[in-house]
Amino acid sequence: MAAIGAGLAVIGAGIGIGKIGGDANSAIARQPESTGDIRGSSLIFAALIEGVAFFGVVVGLLFAIK
Amino acid sequence: MSFTYPLLASTISASGGEGQNPFEYLFAHVVAHKVGSFMGFTVWNFQLFQVAAIVAIFLAFAPVRRAIQASGGGYATRVLAGWVSWIRDEMVYPNMGEAMGKKFLPFFLSIFFFITFQNVFGLVPGGATATASVYVAAALAVIIMLMMIVGGMLVQGPVKFWTSLVPHGVPLWLLPLIFPLEVIGLFIKPIALTVRLAANMTGGHLVLLSFMGLAFYFGANYGTGLGLVVTPVSVGLSVFIMIIEGFVSLLQAYIFTLLSIIFVSQALHPDH
Repeated sequence: MAAIGAGLAVIGAGIGIGKIGGDANSAIARQPESTGDIRGSSLIFAALIEGVAFFGVVVGLLFAIK
Repeated sequence: MSFTYPLLASTISASGGEGQNPFEYLFAHVVAHKVGSFMGFTVWNFQLFQVAAIVAIFLAFAPVRRAIQASGGGYATRVLAGWVSWIRDEMVYPNMGEAMGKKFLPFFLSIFFFITFQNVFGLVPGGATATASVYVAAALAVIIMLMMIVGGMLVQGPVKFWTSLVPHGVPLWLLPLIFPLEVIGLFIKPIALTVRLAANMTGGHLVLLSFMGLAFYFGANYGTGLGLVVTPVSVGLSVFIMIIEGFVSLLQAYIFTLLSIIFVSQALHPDH
């Protein structure tokens, strides 16, 4: 069960980070001069999503260890 | 687990455990273990690497001040000086403003380089990643939380800090819902910082552990020959993950510092 939970968390994070990456790439393609700003903010949002995903993975890990 | 793998046999007996399986041996790199005691306190291996990180920071940054003022110095010193001014110009000043950023720059520089050095020391052979421990990451996040709450109350006034948590223009009947949410959010932010840093550092090591364990697994379960065949693949994947981890250990220090800068500046200036 814990492995299934971790997998579900990874699905959510994958969708979220994939969407950020795709949108950031198309934004850079539209406006190459603001590459730095777009990269910085997309990193921040990727980190926020990743943090939520890690909550799921850590809870799954705790259940798996116990 | 009965285990006969020629390459690791010497390592296992050298570390003292006959019945120790390779996964436990590799896992010992990830989890904290006691190395001795000092003045009645138990010393963990993470603490040694934290002290080493502080010493390394002082050694590395001693010539940087002169390098920034007089633009001299060796190769490493110039790299570090450029790094410091990058953090100032790209992370602290744009998010906090120049007046407040000047006061907070030393603190965020220390946070950034403390985390960076701890993360990188975990990649050194025989090293341990102190930030992979939840306690270390939580201690760093508690400092940020105190800066948010105490600093916000000092700058804005003790009452206005709590009232300005609620954004302007919220209908009155929503206040009982919004205010507890904002207060909880104040505590969720450091928890998220903790989990992000500690889980990222532990996760990288666990991925590395499972790729290295691949060779041991095949060697133990399907014979030594297949283990030797799998070993190059396993080592190659480990090297690949190690490169990624070198990037991640810098990225996580960046993320932690940038999010703390944003959180602290939000707590000090609620308007933007």
